[in-house]
Amino acid sequence: MIAFDQHAKRPEFINVRVKRQDGPGKEPYWQLFKIPYEPELNVITVLQRIAALGKDADGNKSFPVCWDCGCLEEVCGACTMVINGRVRQSCSALVDRLMEDNPDELVLEPMSKFPVIRDLMVDRSRLFRGLKRVKAWVPVDSYYDMGRGERQLREMQERNYPLSQCMSCGCCVEACPQYTKIELEQKPGESDEAFDARKNDAFDKAFVGPHAISQAMLFNNHPTGKALEGERLDALTAPGGIQACGNAQNCVAVCPKEIPLTTSIARAGRATTLHTIRKWFEK
Amino acid sequence: MANQRVVVVGGGLAGLASTMKLAELGINVDLISLTPVKRSHSVCAQGGINSCNDQTRQLGDNEFKHFDDTVYGGDFLNHQPPVKEMADWAPKVIDLMDRLGVPFNRTGEGFIDRRRFGGTLYKRTAFAGATTGQQLLYALDEQVRRRESEGKVRKFEFWDFQGLIQDSTGRCRGVVAQDMVSMEMRSFPADAVVVATGGCGLVYGRSTMSVFCTGSAASRCFQAGAKYANGEFIQVHPTAIPGSDKLRLMSESARGEGGRVWVPRKPHDSRSPRDIPAADRYYFLEERYPEYGNLVPRDIATREIFDICVNEGLSVDDERMCVYLDLTHISKSELDRKLGGILEIYEKFQGVDPRIEPMRIFPAVHYSMGGLWADYVRTAAGGLEPGAPKNHMTNIEGLYAIGECDYHYHGANRLGANSLLSCIFTGLFTGPSIVNYIENQSEGHADLASSEIDSAVKKQQDRHDSLLKGDSSSDENPYLIHQELGDVMTRAATVVRRNDQLKDAIETVNELHERAMKVSLSDTGGWSNQNVLFSKSLQDMFPIAKCILQGALQRDECRGAHYKPEFQRPSLTAEDPAERRKQAEEWLDEFDKNNEKFLKSTIAEYDNASMKPKLSYEAVDTSLIQPRPRLYGLVGADIIEQVFKERAEAKKAGAAPAASA
Amino acid sequence: MSDSPSETKVSFFEKHEFAIRRIHSLLGIVPLGLYMVVHLTTNASLLNGVETFQRAVFMIHSPGKLLPLIEWAFIFAPLLFHAILGVWIAKTGRTNSGQYRFASNKRYSWQRWTGMIGLVYLFLHIMHLHGGFHAQWWINSINGIGFGMFSPYNAGSSLVRAMDWGWGVVWPTIYLVGMLSLVYHLANGLWTAGITWGLWISPAAQARATKVCVAFGIVLTVISLSAWAGAVIPGEEDAQAMEAIENRMYEAGVEAGMVPENEEKRAHHSATDVEAGEEAVSDTEATAMTEFVPAS
Repeated sequence: MIAFDQHAKRPEFINVRVKRQDGPGKEPYWQLFKIPYEPELNVITVLQRIAALGKDADGNKSFPVCWDCGCLEEVCGACTMVINGRVRQSCSALVDRLMEDNPDELVLEPMSKFPVIRDLMVDRSRLFRGLKRVKAWVPVDSYYDMGRGERQLREMQERNYPLSQCMSCGCCVEACPQYTKIELEQKPGESDEAFDARKNDAFDKAFVGPHAISQAMLFNNHPTGKALEGERLDALTAPGGIQACGNAQNCVAVCPKEIPLTTSIARAGRATTLHTIRKWFEK
Repeated sequence: MANQRVVVVGGGLAGLASTMKLAELGINVDLISLTPVKRSHSVCAQGGINSCNDQTRQLGDNEFKHFDDTVYGGDFLNHQPPVKEMADWAPKVIDLMDRLGVPFNRTGEGFIDRRRFGGTLYKRTAFAGATTGQQLLYALDEQVRRRESEGKVRKFEFWDFQGLIQDSTGRCRGVVAQDMVSMEMRSFPADAVVVATGGCGLVYGRSTMSVFCTGSAASRCFQAGAKYANGEFIQVHPTAIPGSDKLRLMSESARGEGGRVWVPRKPHDSRSPRDIPAADRYYFLEERYPEYGNLVPRDIATREIFDICVNEGLSVDDERMCVYLDLTHISKSELDRKLGGILEIYEKFQGVDPRIEPMRIFPAVHYSMGGLWADYVRTAAGGLEPGAPKNHMTNIEGLYAIGECDYHYHGANRLGANSLLSCIFTGLFTGPSIVNYIENQSEGHADLASSEIDSAVKKQQDRHDSLLKGDSSSDENPYLIHQELGDVMTRAATVVRRNDQLKDAIETVNELHERAMKVSLSDTGGWSNQNVLFSKSLQDMFPIAKCILQGALQRDECRGAHYKPEFQRPSLTAEDPAERRKQAEEWLDEFDKNNEKFLKSTIAEYDNASMKPKLSYEAVDTSLIQPRPRLYGLVGADIIEQVFKERAEAKKAGAAPAASA
Repeated sequence: MSDSPSETKVSFFEKHEFAIRRIHSLLGIVPLGLYMVVHLTTNASLLNGVETFQRAVFMIHSPGKLLPLIEWAFIFAPLLFHAILGVWIAKTGRTNSGQYRFASNKRYSWQRWTGMIGLVYLFLHIMHLHGGFHAQWWINSINGIGFGMFSPYNAGSSLVRAMDWGWGVVWPTIYLVGMLSLVYHLANGLWTAGITWGLWISPAAQARATKVCVAFGIVLTVISLSAWAGAVIPGEEDAQAMEAIENRMYEAGVEAGMVPENEEKRAHHSATDVEAGEEAVSDTEATAMTEFVPAS
């Protein structure tokens, strides 16, 4: 700390306000924590300090905050949350920078578009369901050695690589005004399988989200992935498809990997238009 | 055939490759992972994946040379048949990944572009931007999702592997896992189990690994009787950005482009680095290695940075060990052009512009070469027998280990861009072996007695319940114990190892282990209790930590990542040619003697009663390439090499007549 | 509208949601957007002189009895479709431009708000001037509350007087807000439609399209302000002068056979005038008109 005397403006403590919830369907509540300021903190460290501290600002014993994280390098997509009102990865959310915007406190909330499991941890299975809907894979024949893939021009790689960096973190859908929360409860006596089926049914009718649209465009631009182009476009024109997009373009603005999601959406717009017209006249 | 089931634990590159291959072979797979598989640690690999290729072949490269580079880099502790098989498969693995849609960087003509990596003369490394691991993982994740939607794979994400189900013969018949959300404990009966749970970086507190790389899954197998091999071989990367939550990799290219490493001569100089005049700066690499300067090889850079902070106490920062990696003397435009991407990473996570202020860096634990011991079947030609049920099976029948948590491929030191290859290769290659194993069994997963299942589940439930109940006499905080463990391990068992320090560390770790066994939880609830999950994995870090320390203590030599200054072989001192030759002969005699003693895999078996590992040593298959000394930076290297070659030829000549006689 | 649709209707709608929403997008531009441009330009011509405006209105009303059909097919029906679906679309989203203050997100919110404002405004506007239905009994009954005020054969003067109705502030304010909302809604809708249909794809193309749509919006704003000024600025004295010209044009037009004779499309200021006009039409004729094509 002595070495950082030149930053004398820094406070001794940081107030961290966390929106907590003990489980699905429980009432959320706010809890305030106070942790000593350190230079170069990020939100992950803040939560680790809170866990090690074990008490809130008033000195009451408190459970560690539940949250999800993985690589801490912004490539795994696990640690998404709403920090000071904006969705982002908590690993790359630097406290010093956040305090420039709001010097009084740090406000941590779970993502609002997914059911809360506990505290800052949410159930993002709908994101992955979206990838299934658009068949985001290359339908190769087998995993045997069949020689190399098709030659691809650099231009194609340069178009596909940015899309392929999508880590399913959920920032885009959290900021999207057209993507709304679906939270279902397991009915008494309902089996896990039946509940999953009911959930998937609900997910499949709702907006698929920018990330999945972009993945559909990625695989439609792959020499072998193209084989499923029609099926992907059918999925994008089914209920909850591309038509639900309202062009608010928040997705691209909050994407931590700066993936050109709105370019993918516009591409999908053109592809679905042509696909539908073609189907109208050919079938 | 119709209803065979394999449980794969871990959804990184190896686990996913295994899952998709098994599904293709008609097996139903239950894939258990404590994180959504798309978030597995494999995403962090940046550099690339190696194989010899059309370009390098025309420059004289071939699979055998890739194999040779790998075992030379690993200081000959690698098992040669599996490494040979892997090198032979490497071009095919890359072809497959290409077909699966990995956006490898392309040449202007549309071929896969290659770059050169450390430890080789050839441009073998295929890469996809700066996120090759992520791209490879996603391609496999997509295939597994495809198989999942076909009903061949069931994913259990946010499920934590707790332990094995073994029948009375000891054969592994499935696993017990816990739902990390509902805390439900459940059995997963299977015909075979594959463990692909990666490395154990969290034993060191902070490392370049993801937060779930605790090694606890491997440890749970180890405690159930599986052998753990070569634990002491932990790769440390010289330049990482020390964050308070994790150590993030800083590419070697920063030094390559002219970065200078220094510390203030005055310990913990409180001045801003820009205000410290040249006279008060200690460019220790340049001073200690005038010839190579800042571009000394990785292991030496690592050791020197470590030495300057730990032994000389010259760390830049008081609380956090680090040195300056200075690029500020290079023009901004040049930096942006050559290093733009990696400087942005530094800026993003440190909030400091490295073009204006020197970066603070420190070595970081990066990869575990060791792991669960596993078998293999060698062919006459020196490769692996495809489809042999023993390939990658641990000493527990029916339990397979692949990926970073096996131990065969990287010896004492892993070559850059070989880890992604070994993960995918082992996942694919073991598929037919597992299928053949299952087909030879008379009893399948459905035949398992329910009493055996129940007792396995109960054992884990009891452990869970007793942790929740806690020990009223103690208030041990698991998070603080983890910090202490990390500190001890980082000090004693990373870059430079000394026996006195290792002995002390073993004692401290024993004490910590006992404290960890009676942690008191602040959260005793039954819903998404991360507190209890963390405590369990903390407790399970100790058997691995002890393997590392004990293995390091007993290995009195320098080999690859394991460096003990007391046992470093000296340079040649004599000036007189005859005397010098004599010294070289002696040097090589010592080398042979040392290999006889230590060119062996360390094998640990866990004794649950004493909570300590028992070590033994196992011969390494070096039948394909004769071990040769690594002589970097040694005075007299030329003469030693000459003598070595003469001896090798004499041996060959001696062996040939004997064979014909 | 979307809260409790019947089961079968839901499945039909869901099945064709993509096509229905593309139709929604298309109708917003053609005919609605196109009509709006023509309408505003016509009205702006009042600034050029009452004759210009009246000539244009004579031309619009030249289809005679076919006019209501045209109005319903190309204006009211598409408008209702666009409006009903628009309200439903707005309800499927949750605006968050307070939280995420990006320009494009604000535009998204405004698109919804201006749509709602525009819908209310258009209802008022149609009732206020057009009346909705041409049947004379209907027009007469709503005249009392200041609705159905526009008389096509006295276009300028009836418009000016309609705007003066009340205190001379209420209607001009409503029109200003409503028209500008719709101008925004059209210009921004054009931009989003370009993405929806896949016309402009790359960020650079979208940025260029933004410029074009902003320019279009500015031009249309100028036109709409002109139309507004043309109707709001003149006072009662000007209206009388206009009326004289319009009456002269009507009579000359009828005489020349250029304008179909129709007293109902003329202004009637006092109750006696209205009654006198009504008496002039025979009972049978009146019945026929209400039954077939009211008021043409």
